Amino acid sequence: MRRQRTTHARVRVFETLARFLITAGGIATIGAVALIFAFLLWVVAPLFRRAAIVPETSAEEPLVRSPGDALRFQVDDHGVLGAVLFSDGTLLALDVTNGAVLEELHPFGTEAGEQPALYSFSGDGAKSVLVAGFADGTVRVGAIAFAASFPPAGELPAAIRALSPGEHAAEDGGVVQALPDGRFRRLRVQAELGAAIVPEEPAPILRLGHSRRGDRTIACAWRADGRATLLDVRERPDMLGGRPALRVMRRELPRRADPRLGPPAHVVVTAAGDSVYLVWEDGRLERLDVRDPARAVLAEILDVTPAEGVRPTAVASLAGGATMIVGDSAGGVTAWFASKEPEAGTSDGSVLVAGHVLAAAGPAVTCLAPSPRSRLLATGHADGSVRLYHVTTARLLGETRMAAGGAGPLQIQLAAREDAIVALGPTGVARWAVDPGHPEASLAGLFAPVWYEGYAGPRHVWQSEGGSDSFEPKLGFVPLVYGTGKATLYAILFGAPLALLAAVYTSEFLDRRWRAPVKSVLEMMASLPSVVLGFLAALVIAPFVQSVVPAALAVIGAIPLSLLAGAHLWQLLPAPVAIRAGGYPKLAAMALALPLGILGGVVLGPALEAAVFAGDATMWLDGQRGGPLGAWTMLLFPLVAGAVCVAGGRLAGPWLRQRSPDWSGGKCARVALLRFALQGGASLLLALGLAALLAAASFDPRPGIVGTYVQRNALVVGFVMGFAVIPIVYTLAEDALSSVPDHLRLASLAAGATPWQTAIRVVIPTAASGLFTAVMIGVGRAVGETMIVLMATGNTPIMELNPFNGFRTLSANIAVELPEAVQNSTHYRVLFLAALVLFAITFVLNTAAELVRSRFRRRASRL
Amino acid sequence: MSPPAVLRAAPATVPAGRRPPRIHRRRTSLFARGEPFVWLAGGALVLAAGMIAGLLLLVLYRGGATFWPRPLDEFRLLDGSVVLGEVAARESHRLAAHEIESLAPAVRARLREARGESSRTLVRTGNFELTDTHFRWVEDHLVAAHDRPEWALTVERMAWGRFYGTPRAYRVDGETVAVGPAAAWSAFAADHGGALARGRERRRLEKDGLGRLNQEIEACRLAVRAAELEHGPGSSEHARAQGELADKERDVERQAAAIRARIAALEAENARCELVLSTADGEEKALPPAEIVRAYPANRLDLAGKLSIYASRGWEYLTAAPREANSEGGVFPAIFGTVAMTFLMSVVVVPFGVLAALYLREYARQGIVVSLVRIAVNNLAGVPSIVFGVFGLGLFCYIVGASIDQLLFAANLPNPTYGKGGILWASLTLALLTLPVVIVATEEALAAVPSSMREGSYACGATKWQAIRRIVLPRAAPGIMAGAILAIARGAGEVAPLMVVGAVKLAPALPIDGRAPFLHPERSFMHLGFHIYDLGFQSQNSEAAKPMVYTTTLLLIAIVVLLNLAAIRVRARLRRKFHGVAF
Repeated sequence: MRRQRTTHARVRVFETLARFLITAGGIATIGAVALIFAFLLWVVAPLFRRAAIVPETSAEEPLVRSPGDALRFQVDDHGVLGAVLFSDGTLLALDVTNGAVLEELHPFGTEAGEQPALYSFSGDGAKSVLVAGFADGTVRVGAIAFAASFPPAGELPAAIRALSPGEHAAEDGGVVQALPDGRFRRLRVQAELGAAIVPEEPAPILRLGHSRRGDRTIACAWRADGRATLLDVRERPDMLGGRPALRVMRRELPRRADPRLGPPAHVVVTAAGDSVYLVWEDGRLERLDVRDPARAVLAEILDVTPAEGVRPTAVASLAGGATMIVGDSAGGVTAWFASKEPEAGTSDGSVLVAGHVLAAAGPAVTCLAPSPRSRLLATGHADGSVRLYHVTTARLLGETRMAAGGAGPLQIQLAAREDAIVALGPTGVARWAVDPGHPEASLAGLFAPVWYEGYAGPRHVWQSEGGSDSFEPKLGFVPLVYGTGKATLYAILFGAPLALLAAVYTSEFLDRRWRAPVKSVLEMMASLPSVVLGFLAALVIAPFVQSVVPAALAVIGAIPLSLLAGAHLWQLLPAPVAIRAGGYPKLAAMALALPLGILGGVVLGPALEAAVFAGDATMWLDGQRGGPLGAWTMLLFPLVAGAVCVAGGRLAGPWLRQRSPDWSGGKCARVALLRFALQGGASLLLALGLAALLAAASFDPRPGIVGTYVQRNALVVGFVMGFAVIPIVYTLAEDALSSVPDHLRLASLAAGATPWQTAIRVVIPTAASGLFTAVMIGVGRAVGETMIVLMATGNTPIMELNPFNGFRTLSANIAVELPEAVQNSTHYRVLFLAALVLFAITFVLNTAAELVRSRFRRRASRL
Repeated sequence: MSPPAVLRAAPATVPAGRRPPRIHRRRTSLFARGEPFVWLAGGALVLAAGMIAGLLLLVLYRGGATFWPRPLDEFRLLDGSVVLGEVAARESHRLAAHEIESLAPAVRARLREARGESSRTLVRTGNFELTDTHFRWVEDHLVAAHDRPEWALTVERMAWGRFYGTPRAYRVDGETVAVGPAAAWSAFAADHGGALARGRERRRLEKDGLGRLNQEIEACRLAVRAAELEHGPGSSEHARAQGELADKERDVERQAAAIRARIAALEAENARCELVLSTADGEEKALPPAEIVRAYPANRLDLAGKLSIYASRGWEYLTAAPREANSEGGVFPAIFGTVAMTFLMSVVVVPFGVLAALYLREYARQGIVVSLVRIAVNNLAGVPSIVFGVFGLGLFCYIVGASIDQLLFAANLPNPTYGKGGILWASLTLALLTLPVVIVATEEALAAVPSSMREGSYACGATKWQAIRRIVLPRAAPGIMAGAILAIARGAGEVAPLMVVGAVKLAPALPIDGRAPFLHPERSFMHLGFHIYDLGFQSQNSEAAKPMVYTTTLLLIAIVVLLNLAAIRVRARLRRKFHGVAF
């Protein structure tokens, strides 16, 4: 009977289960790998999202009693409660979402109850500090603030308790907002005013400008008598909780030469308190240098609206107080800041420049609203349009308009959280919800030179964090990419030739028995933790090299020379001896040539220092002494020597090949030695000649090609990164060379070629793509290396060719800054972009290498 | 090599009447041997091998010498001051002209003769609380006399770094019981063990006793917060939790008072004794034995004594926690953190790597997609490690961790529990980093199993899973093992991603300990590689920390090299075992 054989049910279950688990697990694992790229992209993508401005509400009720009468409009951090100050001293609190007036205040009432006319006023959004000037010449420092309190829910009316989170309602002269955590926030407008600063001469104050730093206010008041006073007011808190005591320093500014000009239209004081800008109706700007208030001088006069008939219509000071924005009647919006220039000719060595032109023409500007904490700027225009700019990158982020009428907004404000723009127009208030996105990180901002305030011109700068909130973030990627390139270049310049040569020697010349152990020792080098290499580079090698700079430079040149000299001397050995000693003795001789080369370098070091560096290498590099002749010779020698070698091979090679078979071995060797010596001498002379030409043309490699010596520098990093790059390149190159089929080698040898000819003409060309792959993967490793560059470069993001200076790479920058970056901030996303760039570079390099290698494998297998 | 036949035949074609050209053996020209090139290549190999050998020797020498007790040198300077300490470094330098001018005439003349060349010695002088410095350069030309005082003592302390001085007296309860170096030293040596034991007991009470009580209170506070969040403030659950907290606080206060009393008693006992030392300058300083970790008369030690100090320091290094901003003491938490992190990592990476490789090699249909995936996985091995760190921080800490906090640890917010760097996230990040190593090694091992064996197994009626489990996996196991070990070696030495996902310079607690739930995957941890970075670059007293960095480097290299050697051994055995196994 045939027995029916069936698969046991358990086996079936296991089979299905295994198939399912392995497939699911495998796909999930591979998916996790893809997730890395997707996640990085997901975090980076919002960087390039456009800003959004969404109209929310607009109230049609005319609010401003007499248009143009509003001196100041201000909103709280959340853009809900507004305060409008009129020139008669009335302060209105209003709900900006519907325009309802909540409260009317008269904060400037004197003790006697009278209300002196408010002539001038200056305020800044950030700290809501205001300085008010009165008809009797007094000045008072104060603030319009939004006082927040958190009343218990029980005290609030039922209508407010019913608000859902995010909503708000008017209550008791202010507004109450419902917060997501169930609490309520009450906001009320509060005006505080300090003691009156009584003038020496009671002339009405026509214009005021001020800046504030900490508890110090510097104000500049223009009086009706045509003179200006600089007031330096320091507040000292009163211990008993009363009004702070004021300490006032008063300085008269120099009398104007031309009294016919009349009062300026705008007065701006820089945050550092070192300059006062006076801007007249016609665009004339006078910059007063008040670094020493007792000796204020007129630094320069210029026209901020050079075009005919164009008037400045709005002037504002950007967060940080170093940049002044000027809006004009022709629609131009320009950012001005002082720039240090060597030939400025002004008293403080800097000139005011229009660093950014945000708009050249368009509808006339009516008002400006800089963000109190970043470089955002909202502008209002006569045709009713409202625009949002990013000043550093001079980009228009978005545009919208007032709902009705064509009339332009009178006052505009950007809420401190940068999530709302509120405009006050003749027809009412309007509010827009804003999402500015990440304006600093546009492609141009990241990769093109940008003119940052205080710099002499557009530069690539990376400086992501500064001391204060109003710091201008400088997110120039180029110095980091440059640093990465510099690290990679030096690592590859040092590592790749060494690794490739070592691989050729291992696979073509080394005794077979030695290959495996030598290879595993070098592979072991690959597993050395890079933190170890970084530590040694920074704390051992860098200080050591610094103490022996000339000797170290001499050693770099002396080692190859000593090997070449050794080879030529070896050739002088009689043939039988040379053949018998071809194995270990020859290797030992090579090993001996290395310390001899190092010794030669050490001995030559002081001589080199005396000849090239005028006796002191560090001072020479610093540019303090000596001429460029020796250094040019040293820089040019390797290039010239290479050229001379090639030329010598081309010219003398064929002749030598033709004649040499007739010569005895000894003669050949002597001729070779002679040629080596001649080539060396000729290279030196030629390099010297070229150097003399360059020196005569007064080209100096300092500062530029070389420069100041810094302990942790590119040369040291290149050397230590060699430890990381050599094993990888070596292993892959050796694999490629040994996978060249042996029959090619044997055929070449059988045809009479020497091992060297075989290696050069047969093996290396066959394995060329494999060698290329090896170098590519080495480059990939060097690009992403973090710990070594982090520890051994000093991490200064500068762009210099100088191999004796440090740099900062993308990877080190991530390691340094990511732990401090706030989640989802621009900085955080830009660091993710750096990671993405690294990921992409290495992925492309490795894929290219992989494709080349697979082609090479296919070809090698056909051979 | 015989000349080609054609050449021999050549004379026949020469027309008659002319002298036949001289026939000679054509030899290979010397220029064809390319000797200079061969030397360059050989030199490169020797240089590369020499570089790694030099590096290893340097680390071995400097790291190995850290614990060796150095003699104490006393320099009597020309200005009358005396410097006592261990010689840390020597160097020669050249003095500037104005520096020479300011010296005494006799010294000036000698220096002028030497053209300003002089040498100096870096002396570790310790006694930080007296001198405000740990190290001091001593110019050789300013030294009047050099000596090695017999009774000079090296004292390692719990705080303030080392102390160098000569024992003068030993006091108990303020009364001098021994006078003179030898007597004071032996009195101290007799008491020291007991004092140390009391110090250990005190620390144990502080950590286990008071620390545990604090944790209990903290747990109660969290319960109150959780009740408030869940049932709203003022609810009955909230009130009950508050009541429990109050009870607990009273209870804990009672227990804490008892523990504090015991601690006070131990401290009082320890404060009774004092070893009085005088510094080289003659200043007196009294040190309680409990503050002294280790003291030895450095210049009196014989070889056995030195060896025992070496062993004692080495043992402390491996088993104790760091002291003195990590520059003294041990690295046990770092070793533990490294091992725990690597262990967690391999628990994740090995199964998933093997699964992925099995899928790619055995289950997926071979085609263009699979080869693309394979290339991508290969390439992932070349992606910089810091990129994985960025990914780990962004996804694991800030998104996954923050979600876990929202769901499970809401009471603790806004303090993150999982929403920050921790050992779990670090292990997962490194698992991703090492995944390609395991996948590639496993795939190679699977591919090396001859398909004839699979087919044989199928022919016997095995299912695919049975064939894999019984035939393929056992054959591939050594290769998989080797891959796993290589992954562990890579993971153990990687630092850059850890800097962003959870390694810290000093962790308050180990990630695995005796308190429930025993494994604390959210905790930050110390890591040997990060320890090197931190000691070398963030330490205030980096000169004193340097020997420690070398030792830690040595330890890390030893771990990584041993793991690599293990992988090579395993792979070699695999090759030998299965070489030529094919049907």
